[in-house]
Amino acid sequence: MHDKLAFKLEILADAAKYDASCASGTAGKRRAQKGGKGIGSLTGGTGICHSFTPDGRCVSLLKILMTNQCIYDCHYCINRRSSNVQRARFTVEEVVNLTLGFYKRNYIEGLFLSSGIIKSPDYTMEEMVRIAKSLRQDHHFKGYIHLKTIPNAALELQQQAGLYADRLSINIELPTTSSLGTYAPEKNIHDITGAMGRLREKIREHKKSKTYKGRRLPRFSPGGQSTQMIIGADQSNDKTILRASNRLYKGYRLRRVYYSAFSPIPDASRMLPLKPAPLIREHRLYQADWLLRFYEFDINEILEGTQNDMLSEDYDPKLAYALQNRHMFPIDVNKAEKHLLYRIPGLGPRGVAKIIHLRRQHTLSWQDLKRLRLPVRKMKPFIITNDYSPAGNMLDSLSLGESLKPAIQLELF
Amino acid sequence: MKRIIMPTPPDFNQWRETARAAMLEYLQPHEILWETEDQQQQDLFAAPPDSNPLTTKWTATPLESKTTKNRKALKIPRKFHDLSKIAICHSNNEKYPLLYRLLWRLVNERKNLLNLTTDKDVIDLNKLVKEVRRDSYKITAFLRFREINEAGESRYIAWYEPEHYSLERVMDFFTARFTNMAWSILTPYRAAHWDGQNLTITDAPDKTEYPKEDELEPYWLKYYASTFNPARPKKSAMLNQMPMKYWKNMPETHLIPELLQKAESRAKDMIEKSRHNTLRAP
Repeated sequence: MHDKLAFKLEILADAAKYDASCASGTAGKRRAQKGGKGIGSLTGGTGICHSFTPDGRCVSLLKILMTNQCIYDCHYCINRRSSNVQRARFTVEEVVNLTLGFYKRNYIEGLFLSSGIIKSPDYTMEEMVRIAKSLRQDHHFKGYIHLKTIPNAALELQQQAGLYADRLSINIELPTTSSLGTYAPEKNIHDITGAMGRLREKIREHKKSKTYKGRRLPRFSPGGQSTQMIIGADQSNDKTILRASNRLYKGYRLRRVYYSAFSPIPDASRMLPLKPAPLIREHRLYQADWLLRFYEFDINEILEGTQNDMLSEDYDPKLAYALQNRHMFPIDVNKAEKHLLYRIPGLGPRGVAKIIHLRRQHTLSWQDLKRLRLPVRKMKPFIITNDYSPAGNMLDSLSLGESLKPAIQLELF
Repeated sequence: MKRIIMPTPPDFNQWRETARAAMLEYLQPHEILWETEDQQQQDLFAAPPDSNPLTTKWTATPLESKTTKNRKALKIPRKFHDLSKIAICHSNNEKYPLLYRLLWRLVNERKNLLNLTTDKDVIDLNKLVKEVRRDSYKITAFLRFREINEAGESRYIAWYEPEHYSLERVMDFFTARFTNMAWSILTPYRAAHWDGQNLTITDAPDKTEYPKEDELEPYWLKYYASTFNPARPKKSAMLNQMPMKYWKNMPETHLIPELLQKAESRAKDMIEKSRHNTLRAP
């Protein structure tokens, strides 16, 4: 083992792990050409998880920083200028060779490259683009590439990045302008959202249009763009965070907003809380985020289930919503439309699909739901089947919420 | 009672031809005793195979003798064809009576049987299919190549122990992804070899061909250890996705006990240092 390279890898993987996004998103199908020079493929679905670390996270990509040197001083960041962590920097060739070597051994789906800002945003972005370009053009690499974009780098560079990457992301970091001002004084919300807006236009343009000769434009970040917010470093409540996410989904067509519960970092800034943010908070935010993206929930419906603008720690956001809206229930699983089925606690998109598929064959009984292996215990107070309806006082009972709390607290820590 | 003997590892085409022939002779599901070659070998020292007067060995008559009329009568849904092709790879030999019973019921009972997702047989079929699919996915995820040099040429070799007979099912994935590499995947029952153009499947692989080490593997271990965040260990979530049965052929898993053991003290250490920073004058 080459000691110097191992040292860099250790430092620059460690520094990159606080970025929550681990998955490789869906960016279409692709395969290497037989007899050609290339290597790599995309399977069409979400990327494969090649391993799992003891924190339960999926290892899908080689997630590293190009360098952890940085001219910025963002308080929540392990790599800020004033932190005294050890610094290292990869060369373009080192990143390219590590990516290809790992890929050929089936360790990874591709590369997730981020970086501290060195010299200037433009210089940094240019180096990152060189890595992606070399993988694509010199090595005909067909695997997945995710590039973290630097908001105030030149437009030209961001656009080049999109031609080589499957997904681009720009971290919004904190949900409000004032928080960003306090914790990341050199960053500016308008630079960030401005860059997101330009990427959105570019992604749309390349997806839809053709050249005047009828040829398709080249792929431009086909997996869209994503972002990350840090939870619990500032005072923002869940309402503020979810409203920010909703704006990002609606206004900028982001594919994913990642939430990262602030966790202690080596040599943390004095402005940060000492204690880590509870992971349950991050978990509930993801659940609420899911309701927005896959369950046809409106942001205001989710907020109905909050108390003091915070999501409940005891109940998942859908159950909290149901407990606030008991007049909507019970829902007849044999008749209700899809968007109503989505509102039944315990029932997800897969469960809904199973119900809709089977009720085309025959009307559903209680036993049918059990055979479909749906979580009937949780659904019980909220549904009607052809042979079951909840006892009259069940839904009105004040202790309903209490009785639906998970019997054993799930291990979340 | 008829005894039908199926090969090990399973062969979808042979099963299909046999089942078709049995259907055309109106052999009812309860009249057939499905056995496999490996069971046969185990029984070799027990009773002679044909000693049981209640069962006779039955083999399918060749296809030519079937009339077109009969072939038409055996039309089955595409979905059953596709699902049985997956289920046949399962290591549980109960798959044979189950698949034949389903086939019988599809033809004689109802064409859309597979839509009845609460039917016992359909549930069992879907379970087999799900387990084989998961097994196939895990090969594409957890298999690790090691590189060797043969006369200046690189070759990549992997040893993997699938739970089911899934090797053939993942060949498209490996040839599409590692197209321009020469590689071999060895499993306890068969091996697959790719030279950049052609795929060869061989029997009786030799595990000793699997290299003991790889030049880049230490870097992978380093990466795995560094990408773990000691402030939030969550062992059960990891085990859910990566149960210990997969660990033995994944080099990085040897690090897990130590990573978990040291996690708490590392996290505490970080908090201590932050506290120190807080107390420091600005």
